[in-house]
Amino acid sequence: MLSAILYAIPFLGAGLAVTLLVSLLTVSLSLVIGGLMGVALVYGPAPLRWVIRGFSDVVRGIPILVLIFFVYYGLPVAGLNLQPFSAAVLALTVFKCAQVIENVRGAIGSIPRGQMDAGKAIGLTFPARLVYVIAPQAVRRFLPPWINGVTDAVKGSALVSLLGVTDLMHSIQQVIGRTYEALPLYVLGAVFYFVINYTLSMLSRRLELRYSYIRD
Amino acid sequence: MEHERPRREFLKLGTAGVAMAGLVGATAAALTPEKAAAQAPAGSLLRTVLDRGKLIVGTGSTNAPWHFENEQGQLVGMDITMGRILAKGLFDDENKVEFVRQDAAQRIPNITTGKVDIVIQFMTMTPQRAQLVAFSRPYYVEGIALLTRPDAANKTFDQLLAGGRNTKVAILQNVDAEKSVHQVLPEAQVMQIDAQANVIQALESRRADAAAVDLSTVRWLVARNPNRYADAGKKWYSMLYGAAMRQGDLDWLNFVNTTFSVAMYGHQNDLYDKAFKDYFGLDAPGRTPGFPSI
Repeated sequence: MLSAILYAIPFLGAGLAVTLLVSLLTVSLSLVIGGLMGVALVYGPAPLRWVIRGFSDVVRGIPILVLIFFVYYGLPVAGLNLQPFSAAVLALTVFKCAQVIENVRGAIGSIPRGQMDAGKAIGLTFPARLVYVIAPQAVRRFLPPWINGVTDAVKGSALVSLLGVTDLMHSIQQVIGRTYEALPLYVLGAVFYFVINYTLSMLSRRLELRYSYIRD
Repeated sequence: MEHERPRREFLKLGTAGVAMAGLVGATAAALTPEKAAAQAPAGSLLRTVLDRGKLIVGTGSTNAPWHFENEQGQLVGMDITMGRILAKGLFDDENKVEFVRQDAAQRIPNITTGKVDIVIQFMTMTPQRAQLVAFSRPYYVEGIALLTRPDAANKTFDQLLAGGRNTKVAILQNVDAEKSVHQVLPEAQVMQIDAQANVIQALESRRADAAAVDLSTVRWLVARNPNRYADAGKKWYSMLYGAAMRQGDLDWLNFVNTTFSVAMYGHQNDLYDKAFKDYFGLDAPGRTPGFPSI
């Protein structure tokens, strides 16, 4: 078993890089886009709120695998013919966006309304109230569920192998396809994903500590 | 896909080289791809491929001996060779082919949505599939065989048959999976599994008594690991493997058929014969001039 694992490791580097890249792109794009949409869901005008609410509900109601296949095979009908890598990143980002929207909505919703009113009373503009009053308090409510979601994104990125993107999972399958030694390789894959996610969890704990200066 | 980019760059250089050679050797009588493109019928994929300068083949990378990465990270296997035979026929250069890696479930969708020119991925020809895609002539006749564990109590076909409904057989999921196992083991429990490697994993982890896999895979595995795998000694269920293309493009289909026939029955056998030997351990039968055997 050990020899099979040692044999396989050199073949997995490129796939590991793709997994990390897919995860990084998904997480950062969804943080920016989902963050803005989340704020708009709370404070935006009614029609915009309806659109975002609809988007979030629909996307969260679809299995991520279906979403990936829809982006890859469905969008070409509308003239958008994406390569497997781009299609996978887009689908994962859309999925993650919907989660970020809900994380942001929950975090902002948990801040008492009086905070916004107090900001108004001392004459802060809306952007200033958002940045200086709401965001510092909301961010620590936002972080724990968001980090959970980030580890989900890393795990979910394994689905891109179904579009033929050679990520960590697919490079594992390629070695299995040559040697037919599945068990050691799956163990190795599990270790890789665990190490990535455990590192993320540790980082997140430090991040949460950093923002724990605000007490309830 | 990502790490194939350098080769694509290399292909571009290669294309430039061919263009230069075309200018230099313009007086040569040989049919260059450029000339061929001009003569290929408009609207056919044949012309698109010739104009593009490379063939795009949809295939897998996770099933030896059909399509898999060797230790140098190159895609090899019988399916890969069939793609190279087409590239050689198109451009007189077996390397002018890009392999798009895809899951087996993507074989038909990637054709119907035009993502690849042709799919060569151990695809069994069936009348049902032929309603959706156009198949080439078969390039291999596959069978099913039973892989067992040499240390198991039930390792021969007769023992498995005697096991009746207690015999569990793992098989790659497909439309005829259940029926094909029951043809020879009428009472056996059939476990349908998503990937060939996992079918074999089911055997190794003792979830199944036998793995019903392609005859070619049984030969490949037993030859390499006689201590881990045994051949139960039964083969049945001939299946034709063909390449799949989009329907309604007779010129393209005809080109593929002709090229395959020439590689299998005609005078350009080198690539096919070498692959047949490398991946199945068999010598291709000799071709006899005279009455056509096809």
